[in-house]
Amino acid sequence: MTTEPTKPAAGSFRTGLSWFAQAFLVLTLIWIALNGLSGFWAGLAAASAGAAVGTYFARGQTYPWRPLKWLAFIAFFIIESIRGGVDVAARAMGPTVRIDPVFESHSIAIPPGLPTILLTSFISLLPGTLSVRLREHDHELIVHALTPGSMASVTRLERALAWMFNVERADG
Amino acid sequence: MTPTDLITLSLLLAGCGFYLAGTVGLLRFPDVFCRLHALTKADNLGLFLVCSGLAVHSGDWRIVSLLLLIWLVGLLAATVSAHLIARHAHEHEADAPEEENELR
Repeated sequence: MTTEPTKPAAGSFRTGLSWFAQAFLVLTLIWIALNGLSGFWAGLAAASAGAAVGTYFARGQTYPWRPLKWLAFIAFFIIESIRGGVDVAARAMGPTVRIDPVFESHSIAIPPGLPTILLTSFISLLPGTLSVRLREHDHELIVHALTPGSMASVTRLERALAWMFNVERADG
Repeated sequence: MTPTDLITLSLLLAGCGFYLAGTVGLLRFPDVFCRLHALTKADNLGLFLVCSGLAVHSGDWRIVSLLLLIWLVGLLAATVSAHLIARHAHEHEADAPEEENELR
C-alpha cells in the first residue's frame, strides 16, 4: 500500500511551509556540523534566510520523512557504491580492460521531482552505469553502461527509491 | 599500534588504492564516458574509505559529522559533474558530423 506524497500544488501555502521546514532543518544541521553551537542564533538566521530563498526560487514536491527507510536506503546505497567502486577498479587495474560499453535507454517508472533527481544522480555511482541525459520530458534516461548486463542495477535503484518514497512504479 | 590505528590505516590505504584505480581507469579507458565511470565510482569509494578511516581515528562526533558532510558534498559534486560532462559529450557527439564521429 502506498501513501500519496504531499501534492505539488504550486503556490500552496502548506507545500511552501513544508519545503521551508525541511530546508531549514537540513541547513541548521549543516551549521551545527560546521560550527557546533557557537553562533547558534546567527546560524538560525542564516538557515532561515537560505530556506526562504530556496522556497521562493526552487520549491519542489515534499515527501514525508521516514528516517528508518532513509537509513535502509543509505545502507543499500553504500553497499551498491562499494560494489560500483570495486567493479570499476577491478576493470581498470586488470591485465586487460574488460569493458563492452553501450548506451541503453531506461524508461523512468517513478514520479518526477526528487525521486527522479536522486535516480539520475545515484546511477553514476552504481556498478557499471553512468547517467547521460534525460529525454522525453524526463521520462526516459539515457544510460552509459560498461557492459550490457549492468542495467540491472538501475532497476534495483529505482525499486529502492520507490520503496523509500512510498510511491508506485509505473510498471508496477 | 592499537586496533583503532590498524583499522584507520587499513581504511586510509584502501581509500588511496581506489583513488589510484580511478586514475588508472582515467588513463586506460577508451573514451570520456568510460573515464567518467572510473572517476566517479572509484574516487567516491576512495573518499568514503578515507573519511571512514579519519572518523574512526577522531572518535569525536563533530569531526565525524563534518567528515560525513564532506563525503556527501563530494558525492553530490561527483555525480552532478559526471552527469553534466556526460550530457555535454553526448550532445556534442550527436551534433558532430558523420566523418568526425567515425574518427572516435
